[in-house]
Amino acid sequence: MIVAEDVHVHFPTGLFRRRVRALDGLTLDVRDGDFFALVGQNGAGKSTAMYCFLGLLRPTSGKVQIMGQSPELGARLYKNVAYLPEEPHYHLYLTVEEATRYYSSLYGKRVSDKTIDDSLERLGLAQFKTLPLAKCSKGMKQKVGIAQCLIHEPQVLFLDEPTRGLDPLIVREFRETLREIHQRGATIVMNSHVLSEIEMLANRVAILDRGKVVVQDELQNLLTLNQELYRVVFEGNGVVPEYLTAVERTGHLVRAFLPKARLCDFVELVRASGMLLHECSLKKTSLEESFFNLVKGEATLTENAGGNREVSVS
Amino acid sequence: MTELLKANIWADVTFYRRSKLLLAFMLVFLLLTALQSLPPLFMDSGVQSFNSLQQIVADLNFFLLILAGGMGLLIISSHLRNRNLKMVFTKPCSPELWLLSAYLSAAAMSLFLNLVVLGSGVLLSVLWRLPVRMGLVFVSAETFAVSLGLIAFLMLLAMIMHPALAAIVALIFNADLFYQFDVWTKAAIRSGNSSIALRMVERLFHGLYILLPMVYPFDKQTQNIHTSLRVMSGEWKYLLFSLGYTLALSAFCYCVSLFALKRKNHI
Repeated sequence: MIVAEDVHVHFPTGLFRRRVRALDGLTLDVRDGDFFALVGQNGAGKSTAMYCFLGLLRPTSGKVQIMGQSPELGARLYKNVAYLPEEPHYHLYLTVEEATRYYSSLYGKRVSDKTIDDSLERLGLAQFKTLPLAKCSKGMKQKVGIAQCLIHEPQVLFLDEPTRGLDPLIVREFRETLREIHQRGATIVMNSHVLSEIEMLANRVAILDRGKVVVQDELQNLLTLNQELYRVVFEGNGVVPEYLTAVERTGHLVRAFLPKARLCDFVELVRASGMLLHECSLKKTSLEESFFNLVKGEATLTENAGGNREVSVS
Repeated sequence: MTELLKANIWADVTFYRRSKLLLAFMLVFLLLTALQSLPPLFMDSGVQSFNSLQQIVADLNFFLLILAGGMGLLIISSHLRNRNLKMVFTKPCSPELWLLSAYLSAAAMSLFLNLVVLGSGVLLSVLWRLPVRMGLVFVSAETFAVSLGLIAFLMLLAMIMHPALAAIVALIFNADLFYQFDVWTKAAIRSGNSSIALRMVERLFHGLYILLPMVYPFDKQTQNIHTSLRVMSGEWKYLLFSLGYTLALSAFCYCVSLFALKRKNHI
């Protein structure tokens, strides 16, 4: 569906035209129907990669293809593609309603007033529809971007930091909408710094660092359960057994890790002392931890005995 | 395609309507023109009224040319600098179509303003009891034809350089300047200075004069119409010639602008 092979993007900067490598051999493969997340630090090359996919940036070298075609400016293949930019690069002189109508009509299809009104209503923009974009907040501009993205039910969506500046209610609704679109069969490529959001939505993830893909895999392979360690949360009453590690106290509440070998001892202690146990579950490696460990080089993706891939910390 | 063209032209016309810079420019000029038209109200002489009419029409048409160039410059530079073309070119709207829409929208605005100026000229003629001369129609039509070339040229300049630089090039380094330089170097050569360097400079100035677009390509032939506002039957052909010249210039500028737009590394 979307392929990038050894893509390099170099920018000349400064007086001596020093070359900055925005992408340094990026290789990616997004499959049909994927909810694909690009994760990385600032400057890792996520947005640059997206610009290359959309033909907005010509790579210095390498090959990029969407649906088997090279992306060109305004190509016909964008009939089924929608893009939400990170920065609100909109036509600021248009009003909320005019901008939504204009962007929607660029697909070459007539859009009814009702469709526009419904879309604005859904995103809570109905009362601001006569407001020029120049006077809108960042969140409102983002909502206009979302409205124009979703109006034609695209097959491929490119979302660059889609929930930046949105209020929590809209974030939740937007997430649901994305799930619906994905279930309908659309392919979604999303950049985000909100890793918890990616955990909720994506099925495949690529972690980028300095213009390269460090890891590209199923999300599940990056979210492994540690079989040897439990995470416990309890009300301590001053008693904290010495076998607990990484102890954190917040008021009466204690958070710590418990080795599997001492589980019975801990349960016995809880029963005997009458401590209030809030949580006791196998420690889960979050995407945030995997990301941190992989980018810092403290972890690698290895194959376990069952033939599944998992993140192992060195 | 028609839907796309319509959508883009509508967005561009909205841009012109809401551009504060263009509005301020227009208001200042209209104010000056209004002040200029005050004295004839207190005069009884037909000659003086005609002179005032001729001056007002000439000033307004000159202003329209500057405005047309400004529209061509602003529509490109504003979109490029705001980087909102990202929203256009990630949809099935080709650069060819977008550029054509930008040109047509500026041309439509120019046509509308030319009709307003023509209407004002006719109205003033009636108010001051002067015969409505066909020269008014000729001058307006010629100004519109010339504005088409200026729009395309300024669009090209805005596409390849900073808008301030583009304005300087259009206002100062134009064909008139190099024509004067050419005349000056030719005169120097004729007066006896025939050094190779001067001959080379003369060739350079002559080349630049030929290459750069002329505002009024048939200036000498139509000068009389501008002053008398009368048109002889054989003079209408210059209107067609002007239109032909500016359309050819527009086509050339459009192709180069499109090439430059497509060659941009980063939209």
